[in-house]
Amino acid sequence: MEQNVSSTSYQPEEVSSTRRVILASSVGTLIEWYDFYIFGSLAKIISEQFFPKDNPTAALLATLATFAAGFVVRPFGALFFGRLGDLIGRKYTFLVTLVIMGGSTFAIGLVPGYKTIGFVAPAIVFVLRLLQGLALGGEYGGAATYVAEHSPSDKRGYFTSYIQTTATFGLFVSLGIILIVRQSLGLEAFTTWGWRIPFLVSILLVAISIYIRMKMSESPLFAKLKKEGKTSANPLAESFQKKDNLKMVLLALLGATAGQGVVWYTGQFYALSFLQNACNIEFVQSNIIISIALVLGTPFFIVFGALSDKIGRKAIMTIGMLIAVISYRPIYTMMYNDANLKNKVEIAEKTEKKVKYEVKGTDSLITTVTTKAFTDGTTFKETKKEKFPVDPEAKAALPKDKLKPETKKETILPQNIFYRMIGFVFIQVIFVTMVYGPIAAFLVELFPTRIRYTSMSLPYHIGNGVFGGLVPLISTRLVEATRPGPDLPPADPLAGLWYPIIIAAVCFVIGSLYISNKVNNMDME
Amino acid sequence: MSAIKKLAGIIWSVLGLGIIPLAILRAMQEIGAKPSEENWIFWSIVIVVLMPIISFSLIAFGVFALKGEYDHID
Repeated sequence: MEQNVSSTSYQPEEVSSTRRVILASSVGTLIEWYDFYIFGSLAKIISEQFFPKDNPTAALLATLATFAAGFVVRPFGALFFGRLGDLIGRKYTFLVTLVIMGGSTFAIGLVPGYKTIGFVAPAIVFVLRLLQGLALGGEYGGAATYVAEHSPSDKRGYFTSYIQTTATFGLFVSLGIILIVRQSLGLEAFTTWGWRIPFLVSILLVAISIYIRMKMSESPLFAKLKKEGKTSANPLAESFQKKDNLKMVLLALLGATAGQGVVWYTGQFYALSFLQNACNIEFVQSNIIISIALVLGTPFFIVFGALSDKIGRKAIMTIGMLIAVISYRPIYTMMYNDANLKNKVEIAEKTEKKVKYEVKGTDSLITTVTTKAFTDGTTFKETKKEKFPVDPEAKAALPKDKLKPETKKETILPQNIFYRMIGFVFIQVIFVTMVYGPIAAFLVELFPTRIRYTSMSLPYHIGNGVFGGLVPLISTRLVEATRPGPDLPPADPLAGLWYPIIIAAVCFVIGSLYISNKVNNMDME
Repeated sequence: MSAIKKLAGIIWSVLGLGIIPLAILRAMQEIGAKPSEENWIFWSIVIVVLMPIISFSLIAFGVFALKGEYDHID
C-alpha cells in the first residue's frame, strides 16, 4: 500500500503506520549508536587487550583506530551506502548497514587478544572498527530519509526528531549494559573476559532490529520513483558533480551540520571530559551529572523537532548555535569556578595524609593519599603513586620522566553545587537539542528524492564525524598549548572552547545569511 | 541581501585559502620544536583530514556565493 505523505490528507491509520516506521528505524539506529559507543566506552580495556604498550607502532595504530577509523571513515560510509540507497532503495541499504555494524561489533567480542595472536589482533580490530564507522556512515542518512519520506509535511520535523534521540539513547544503553555486566561479574572478571559480553550482546539486538525492519515496506517516495523509472543512474556524480546540488551540499555543511556537530560534541562529550579533567570531579559523580542532564534534555529533541514544523528549521538551529557561541565561555567559567578549590575555604583539622610503602618484586611503591574537606561541603582526595626500583643504582639510572609520580585528583561536590553542575550541562544539552532536533528534516528537504540518501549523508557525517568528532582532540590540544610548563596547570583551562565557538560562529553567520527558513516541500510529495 | 551574500563570498574564499599556509606553517613549527609522536598524530589529522575539508568547502562555497548561486534563497 502506498502512503500519501502530503499533510492535509493524513489519516489516523497512516499516523499509526508512521509510528511503526519511526520505531523500526529508531531501534536500528539506536543499536548502531550502541555498537559505536561501546568501543569508545571500553577503549581502555580494548587497548590493553589488543595493543601492546611497549610497541610504538601498535600504539600508533591504536590511536588511529580510535580517532580516525571511528569518525573519519563515516563520510566514506555515507558515500558508499548513500549511493546504494539511492540506487536500490532505503530499506535494503539500511538493513545492510545494520548487519555490517552488528557483525563487526560481535566479531570484536570474539577476536583473541594480543597475547594469543600477536600483531594480527590489533590489525583485525582496526579493520572491524573501520567497518563500524562505514556502517554508521550509511545508517543515519537511511533512517532519516526513510522516516522523512513517510512523514506528512507538517510533522516531518516532529517524526524525524525521534531518530535524533537515538544517539543519546544509544549512549545510555551502552553505559547501562557495561555497568550491569561489570557489576555482575566483578571488576577482575570483567577486565579479563567480561568486557566481551557487551560486544557479543550486539548480535541479539541486531537480530531483533533486522526482524522488525524486514517487515517494513520501501519508502513510498522512493517506490514511486522506482516505479516510474526515475531513480538516479549515478547518485554520486549527480550529487557532487552537478553544481546545483553540490552548492546545497556545501551549504548544508557550512551553514548547519558543522556547527551542529561541534555543539553536539561539546554538550554531550566535551562537558564530561571538562568535568573530569579540568574540574577533577570524581568519575561516578561526573557521569551522574552528565546522565541526569541528558535524561532531562532528551525530550527537547522532540520539542524542537516539532517546533521546527511550526516556525522553521533555520530559526531554531541558528538561534541554538548563537546562544551556544555567546554562552559557552560564561557557562564553563562558572563550572570551573564552582569546582575550583582555590575559591573554597579548607577545614584544616579535617585534612588527612596517609602514606603506604610496598615492595612489589624489584620495585618499591609509595602511595600517598591526601584528603581535604571544605566549608561548603566539598571533599577532595589526591592519590599519588611513586614507583621506582628498590636498587638505588637502578633507580639512579632511570630517566627523570620514568620516576614521575602518577597523580589522581578527585573532587566530590556538595549537593547544591552538584545540582548547579547538572543545570550547566542541561543548558548545553538544550543547545544540542536545538541544533540537532530539526537537522534531519532540514537535510532531507534540501535534496531531491532521487539522490537524497547520498546528498544528505555526506554533509551530516562530515559535520558530525569530522568537525564534531575532532572536538575532544582539538580542544584538549588547545588547552595543552596554554600550559606554561610540563608539570604546571594550563593558564587557560577554557581555551579548548575556542574550536567549537569559532566553528559554530562561522556556521551561524553562513546559516543566517544563506539558508531559507521556509520548509521546502518541493520534492517531498 | 544578494550583494551581502556575494561580498561575504569573498570572505569565505579568502578564509579557505588562508587556512592552508597557516595550518602548514604551524604544523612545521610545532613538529620542528618537538617532534613527538603526539605532535605527528595531531598535525597529521589536522593537515590530512580537517584542513582540506575546511579549505575546499570554504573556497568552493565562497565562489558559488560570489557567483550569486545562493541569491534565489530567501
